[in-house]
Amino acid sequence: MPFDTIIATRALTKRYADVTAVDCLELDVRRGEIYGFLGRNGAGKTTTIRMLLGLIRPSSGDVSVLGARIVPGETSVLGSVGYLVETATAYPNLTVRENLDIQRRLTGAPRASVARTIERLGLGAYADRRVGRLSLGNKQRLSLARALLHSPDVLVLDEPANALDPAGIVEIRELLQSLATEQGVTVFMSSHILGEVAHLADRIGIVHDGRMLEELDAEELHAKARAYVEVGVSDPGRAMGLLRAARFAHIERITEGGAEGGSDILRVFDAEERASEIARTLLDAGLELTQLTPTREDLETYFLRLTGGAS
Amino acid sequence: MIRAVLATEFLKLRRCKVTWGTLGGLSLAPLGLALFMWILREPGRAAQLGLLGTKANLSGLEATGPAYLSTLTIVFGVGGMLLLPFIVAYLFGREYTEGTAKNMLALPVGRHWFVAAKLVVAAVWWFVLVVVVLAEAMLIGLALGLPGFSAGMMASSAGNALLAAAISFLLVPVVAWITVVGRGYMGPIAFAIAGMALGNLFGKTGWAEFFPWSIVPLMIGMVGSPQTLPTASYIVLALTFIAGTAATIATLRLADNAQ
Repeated sequence: MPFDTIIATRALTKRYADVTAVDCLELDVRRGEIYGFLGRNGAGKTTTIRMLLGLIRPSSGDVSVLGARIVPGETSVLGSVGYLVETATAYPNLTVRENLDIQRRLTGAPRASVARTIERLGLGAYADRRVGRLSLGNKQRLSLARALLHSPDVLVLDEPANALDPAGIVEIRELLQSLATEQGVTVFMSSHILGEVAHLADRIGIVHDGRMLEELDAEELHAKARAYVEVGVSDPGRAMGLLRAARFAHIERITEGGAEGGSDILRVFDAEERASEIARTLLDAGLELTQLTPTREDLETYFLRLTGGAS
Repeated sequence: MIRAVLATEFLKLRRCKVTWGTLGGLSLAPLGLALFMWILREPGRAAQLGLLGTKANLSGLEATGPAYLSTLTIVFGVGGMLLLPFIVAYLFGREYTEGTAKNMLALPVGRHWFVAAKLVVAAVWWFVLVVVVLAEAMLIGLALGLPGFSAGMMASSAGNALLAAAISFLLVPVVAWITVVGRGYMGPIAFAIAGMALGNLFGKTGWAEFFPWSIVPLMIGMVGSPQTLPTASYIVLALTFIAGTAATIATLRLADNAQ
């Protein structure tokens, strides 16, 4: 394993009876990078995260964190890991401060870390409130506080932006960025908010049906994201025929604004340099053109294309 | 490490309604028993007040100090076989029902420490309950002025009750194991009820001294007359404690903790 690889999985597999939740997963997360782990529901993200933390035992393959092989029950390396698994949970009859005090005692963090983390996560007004009376967003903040309390070298976060309001999402994004860039903390995060991952992650792994479909950084995403021209036209069906006849090979017709009352638009791929030719072809045929926008797939569109999702 | 884990386990008990609920529940038992004794002793006045004198008479009990104290020992034995498993099921099961097991088990703390600390908390909780309710029962017994209620008998009865409470505790690691396997409260509570029923059933056979859940009923006189336990019974109880604890630790270490 390279020296700067902080999280590594090798042929990591988890089977439940006849279901393979994670299938020969290989990934490497480097020191100080923010790694976005993407996948649809049931893709194997949370199962992978549970194996990273020794909560479940792989059926085969290995997982290592900070160079140490993770074996359930052997948790010494986890002192350097902060984590948030699935939903934000804490002891409901204890206050925010008491919940963090439990984490402090069990991770050996200094006493001052509780007050510092409460301040850092903006929980000061709720420090002495019982967790059972907190909003979902503040429970999420508490879970993030628990993950950060002992100043870990690695953060494993399952949907860290869950239940946060837009201001909270920006705040956590900035916090994670500063931890990675200023303190060299490695962040492994799963998320379904693709725009958030695109903003934050240095590298992205896309998992589907338990398998790693693709690992890429921002430059690779730009290179792989397909360019297309979005065309709004009065008669999309006739326009498709005209464009095909003009040797535009790859055209998709999609409905925007829902099935009822939506309008069809065309996506003409590999045609950024030929937008004027598209316009001329359609206008010469007497069609009315309402939109002509050269564009490029964003992470969401790329993700959906890769995982066989909508559009 | 055990000190840190113990401190957190006691912290988790703070403001816990279950703690006070179990104390309230068990402290009602001597009051109920005292009422029973009073009805037996004063059937005329009890009838005037509309209390069930006939049913009290049908119980076969007498309003005497020995009857009061021997029934009290049975109360602690039954408490140990039903209430104590509930306490243990709560301590282990809350981590699953409150969704905190995943947080706890990924900490840099050996999982055996959590098992040890929760069993220590259960023991402390249970013995505080027993001592408080025993003191309450003795005061009520003195206040009733039952015939044959002597200091020597009180000491002997308190000793039996504490022994029954201690023996009951040796059975609870099995309850802890069922809780972590089932990840909730229903399994261990059903098991405790089944254990009590089976204990009474086996208690009437020649194997009662060797079946863990028959040993407490045998000792306190729930099945026949109270008996002094043979050494083999203590060995069976010790093995049950060790096996239950080892199984709980092994389940937390080896099984998937997917909840």
